[in-house]
Amino acid sequence: MTRDIAVVAFAQTDVLRTTDELSEVEMLMPVLHSVLDRTGLKTADIGFTCSGSSDYLAGRAFSFTLALDGVGAWPPISESHVEMDGAWALYEAWTKLLTGDADTALVYSYGKSSPGSLRDVLTRQLDPYYVAPLWPDSVALAALQAQALIDSGDTDERELAAIGTRSRRVATLNSRAQLRGAIPQGDYVVRPLRTGDCPPVGDGAAAVILAAGERARDLCSRPAWIRGIDHRIEAHSLGVRDLTDSPSTRLAAERAGVFERPVDTAELHAPFSAQEVVLRKALRLDDSVRVNLSGGALAANPMMAAGLIRVGEAAARIHRGESDRALAHATSGPCLQQNLVAVLEGEPR
Amino acid sequence: MPEVLKAPLVVEFPFTRSLGPVQSAFLTGLRERVVLGVTTTDGRTLVPPVEYDPVTADDLRDLVEVAPTGTVTTWAWNHAPRRGQPLSTPFAWALVRLDGADTALLHALDAPGPDAVHTGMRVRIRWAEQRTGAITDIACFEPYDGDPAELTGSDGEFADPVAGIVAAARLDYTYSPGRAQTAYINSLADRRTVGERCPSCRKVYVPPRGACPTCGVPTAEQVEVGPRGTVTTFCIVNIKAKNLDIEVPYVYAHIALDGADLALHARIGGIPYDQVRMGLRVEPVWTDGARYPDHYRPTGEPDAGYDAYKELL
Repeated sequence: MTRDIAVVAFAQTDVLRTTDELSEVEMLMPVLHSVLDRTGLKTADIGFTCSGSSDYLAGRAFSFTLALDGVGAWPPISESHVEMDGAWALYEAWTKLLTGDADTALVYSYGKSSPGSLRDVLTRQLDPYYVAPLWPDSVALAALQAQALIDSGDTDERELAAIGTRSRRVATLNSRAQLRGAIPQGDYVVRPLRTGDCPPVGDGAAAVILAAGERARDLCSRPAWIRGIDHRIEAHSLGVRDLTDSPSTRLAAERAGVFERPVDTAELHAPFSAQEVVLRKALRLDDSVRVNLSGGALAANPMMAAGLIRVGEAAARIHRGESDRALAHATSGPCLQQNLVAVLEGEPR
Repeated sequence: MPEVLKAPLVVEFPFTRSLGPVQSAFLTGLRERVVLGVTTTDGRTLVPPVEYDPVTADDLRDLVEVAPTGTVTTWAWNHAPRRGQPLSTPFAWALVRLDGADTALLHALDAPGPDAVHTGMRVRIRWAEQRTGAITDIACFEPYDGDPAELTGSDGEFADPVAGIVAAARLDYTYSPGRAQTAYINSLADRRTVGERCPSCRKVYVPPRGACPTCGVPTAEQVEVGPRGTVTTFCIVNIKAKNLDIEVPYVYAHIALDGADLALHARIGGIPYDQVRMGLRVEPVWTDGARYPDHYRPTGEPDAGYDAYKELL
């Protein structure tokens, strides 16, 4: 069965350095209500719900089951969860809609990193035998990738700084972003990466609604049709990979149909400046493509939500008529280990 | 709004992990100051070795020794080492391709400063004095000016191979329960149990979590419930928990406090365990300095009828 499936609504929280006064469900609920309000749907109207989060971030066991309170999950709803960025929850929801089991899906994700030390928390996702016992933090691994790119002549520290500067400058137009405007490039965090090359650590949540066929047209005046979506992963050992390239991104993009026709807009999930260099190369994006008008992950990078936000931002531009064909990318793991690429299109105006 | 509560939370666990034949040989080799790689079907040598080829998924079992010397393929200067990392003084993270290997291994490189490190520099392993069969048997790499070191001639077979590792992990958090649970905990300090009412379905949740799971809307209106309540269901605990100073058997019960639409759970005391029953009326017993009831005991009232609590089972 082939069905056209679209993103019909998107909402996100402000991304903040701390949200002590809010539990995860308290942080999430306004976003769920906001995204439902945009379509006029109620919780009970939703055919399938899928979420993405990680208990390690806030150190709160089974937080995703508590977060379900915000959805109104009783009596029991059709629901699933991924311990991944919400972009992968969206992928699962998309497949669910493809089967015809549901016509609408609510996808949400959230990350509350402020209670812990994110750089250390992320070491726990690494190979537990050879790598995790060394506690190489997330900035250190990204710095190894950045140095490899400098050595290969793909970039230099000045160009990396310019990527961060541009991201935060365009983020002045995004009221949800955490870092907006001129931020000093700062000292080395782990050389060659400086503060300005690294994403801010912040708490936030996002949600989108997917709908199939005519249902999408009922719910949205200009649905963002998912023309293709695919995700690929690379070997987990960093020493096996060529860190200056992203074959998984390129393959996902091919499978999603990115290269069939030019896109006018791209939302890339590049938490570190050097990763934007890798992604632009893998996705063959030239200056004709508007990249990360939201400011991207260098302006706001709520864990588990930042990838879903890329899809949501790309879709919202189509909803508003600012884009006709947009690419959305999400990443997960160290040094762009796993990548998801989607192509969204609006119908001719 | 009063300040939300916060408290330090340490999540600490030792993961005990078993090793496959290739990982066991590699880590046992490190214990014996031997570095082993694994050869792929297309002739590459992977170090550190894995049990399956990351490209072809072939089973890999052919171990081959490589040198403890090698070349830096990329690096990053870490001026502020963090807990658990290999060195406590500033060092470089480095991916090192050992002589004889086709892939690189991640570890620390001890060097005087970033100016002393570059991609392509020669390094060698500095072995840890105490070695147990773990990646940390390599203390770090250090600069080395020379040709590939001699191999030991190991065939990858060792006496008393390691079968597993214990990987300690510790993460430190500053935990906050959020607005609703802060209010609940603060009330408990005054020996009051305060839930929150859903503005839509009017149910009162105790303890409150800030949202109604039926309606998916925030709860805010605070409602004091109890202190008395009704046992809706219970179990008899016969196994003594570690670090818990309670004689078994004892009863653990769901208790619907008067005015609450959700049962909470607590221990029942002041009555022989085999006389606890559904419908039993109970009240909290507080102990000095405690922030929650130690247990609940019978009030002496007649039992509640089944219809009074059947919706709360």
